[in-house]
Amino acid sequence: MKRSLIFVALVIVCSTGVVLAGGGDQYGAGVTLEKAVPIDGLLANPGDFIGQKVRVDGTITGMCQKRGCWMQVSNEQGDSVRIKVEDGVIVFPATSMGHKASAEGIFEGVPVAAQVKKHEGEDEEDDKHKACDAEPQDEMIYFIQGTGAVIYS
Amino acid sequence: MAKKSFRKTIIAVHRDTGYFFAGLTVLYAISGVAVNHMEDWNPNYTVAHVEHSVGDLVDVSDGGIAAEVLGRLGVEEEPKAAVRMSEKEFRIFLKNRTLYVATPSGQVVDELVSRRPGFFHVNYLHLNHAKGLWTWFADIYAVGLLVLALTGIFIITGKKGLGGRGRWLLIAGTAIPLIFLLLKT
Repeated sequence: MKRSLIFVALVIVCSTGVVLAGGGDQYGAGVTLEKAVPIDGLLANPGDFIGQKVRVDGTITGMCQKRGCWMQVSNEQGDSVRIKVEDGVIVFPATSMGHKASAEGIFEGVPVAAQVKKHEGEDEEDDKHKACDAEPQDEMIYFIQGTGAVIYS
Repeated sequence: MAKKSFRKTIIAVHRDTGYFFAGLTVLYAISGVAVNHMEDWNPNYTVAHVEHSVGDLVDVSDGGIAAEVLGRLGVEEEPKAAVRMSEKEFRIFLKNRTLYVATPSGQVVDELVSRRPGFFHVNYLHLNHAKGLWTWFADIYAVGLLVLALTGIFIITGKKGLGGRGRWLLIAGTAIPLIFLLLKT
């Protein structure tokens, strides 16, 4: 009887943990940089930031609906950057659209042609997931290889 | 005598650990299958799209689009955010709902996101989105599985145990992932 009670107590403690942990909106490593780079500045001079760890703040305006493997963060003017994370390692919740968020990672750029080639032969149905890596900016696609994010409720 | 007592102990440990973790094993198994097929579906959410036409928005300024569209749709909820994404698109964000508004035509794609009943919750635990104390319990569960596996091997003696069929099943079950790894990595 005593042993059973200990088991039940353990279960209750752990269940409480679920509830208490519910307030946390950190994904992956969260954000460590104190200062965010304005998204319009990032897109205006992408070459200045390639390979650097950057943080962006804004509103979540897009989301990978299948796997939660990317989200798009925009400023008030609609300038947007995508934060791509490793599938299954960080999963952004589909219900976060419109929430404020901070995200950080390495700013990267790949030629559009390389990106098209990468997705050649994939099903048309996968289009939404395909766009994992950001929209074309001139001849390059820029995105943040995300290491973490904080989504505010 | 010592052998008998050892077997008695492992049977008892296997039985009690099995009882204790049976429920969670079922939940994790359901979630395991669900997330295994992420390529084919979203195991956590369902996303539905409905199209509306709210009439043209030619004379409506950006500041007033959200209120105008919501008013025409009869939605009373206060939006979380509203952002002009491009010259031709405006997005309005509501709770678990996004309105993609084409401007100035007033065509609206209404996207509704809802949690997949049951699956969202089991995946929440299985993928450890709860974090915190759940991480500890999940670690204890992992140890529990190890205990179940190790004690399970020694429960039966004789032809059906490690001395016979059990040995071959053990080798086969261990070999499959190893062979797969050898071929794939």
